[in-house]
Amino acid sequence: MAKSQVTRKITHDEFDPVGTLALIVLYFIVLMLMWVFTYFVEFVGNDPTPFVVA
Amino acid sequence: MRIHVYERLWLVASMILIVAFIATVTYGTVGLGITMVDDREETLSPGDIDEDERFEDPRIEQVGENEFEAYVVAMTFLFQPDPIEVPANSEVTFYVTSRDVIHSFTVVGTNTNTMVIPGEVSVMTVEFDEPGEYGIICNEYCGVGHHDMEAELIVVEEDEFDLTELSVDAPDTVEPDAEIELTATVSNGLIDDLEATVTVEIGDETFQEDVTVGGDESEDVSITVDADDLGEGDHDWTVTVDDYEETGTVSVASDTDENDDGSENGEDTTDENDASSTVEDRLS
Ligand SMILES: [Cu+2]
Repeated sequence: MAKSQVTRKITHDEFDPVGTLALIVLYFIVLMLMWVFTYFVEFVGNDPTPFVVA
Repeated sequence: MRIHVYERLWLVASMILIVAFIATVTYGTVGLGITMVDDREETLSPGDIDEDERFEDPRIEQVGENEFEAYVVAMTFLFQPDPIEVPANSEVTFYVTSRDVIHSFTVVGTNTNTMVIPGEVSVMTVEFDEPGEYGIICNEYCGVGHHDMEAELIVVEEDEFDLTELSVDAPDTVEPDAEIELTATVSNGLIDDLEATVTVEIGDETFQEDVTVGGDESEDVSITVDADDLGEGDHDWTVTVDDYEETGTVSVASDTDENDDGSENGEDTTDENDASSTVEDRLS
């Protein structure tokens, strides 16, 4: 019922969801940090680790 | 098709993420030399474990300067040897096989971890830099005693580590007029020479001899005591080499059983034949 009478048309590139972008960037950074933690701290840090014998 | 700038950004970022994942794993393999346990070792049937020169006697062996090999057998519900002792600052290759069902060899809190499959030999080479103690557990459910299946891995100081073994050959009973010959065999499993002092205490007497045992060799140290000097009765002996000790008792007794009754019985014991028959009686 309360449908706005005013409609504004924007072009494809004018659509600019900054909040969503910030959230996804944050998610991305968390993902990177978790990977670094998992691989370099939890995995490589838990030596002795079996290694290739030359 | 027009792709929004944020969407393009996200596509590129996820590509970078995938490349970064692959790059770190590649770095781990190529740069750090991390490897996975595989099936490159020949298969070994559980029935042949006792004939295999590596596993017939589960042990640690030195194979090079700071290089060791550990031959480990897992079975319900234990690991052999236990504890496993290796020196710090060394490179240890574990060869692990199972006598019965699937187990695992997991050095708790480390990446030294492999399945142990009957018929297969799992091989892992790892470096121990610092002394310390680790627990070893089985993480593959293997039966009712699975939760008790554990062992210990002790990394000892480099200069405190040895692979010395001491065994002593001494008679149980001797005649009062005979000699007691005691032979201590010191074997050295390391590559470097072992310098040790063999101390033999028997009765009130103490003998000391310095020995140098070459790498992977053994030396015998024999001492001879006149039974007369000790007198009749039981005499404890102790052989000590570094931290190793063997003890036993030798009885000086004449062939008659009533030697407690009087010292005169000692005079009757000059007959060799009687002496040997006494020993045989005691053995049978
Ligand atoms: Cu098990």
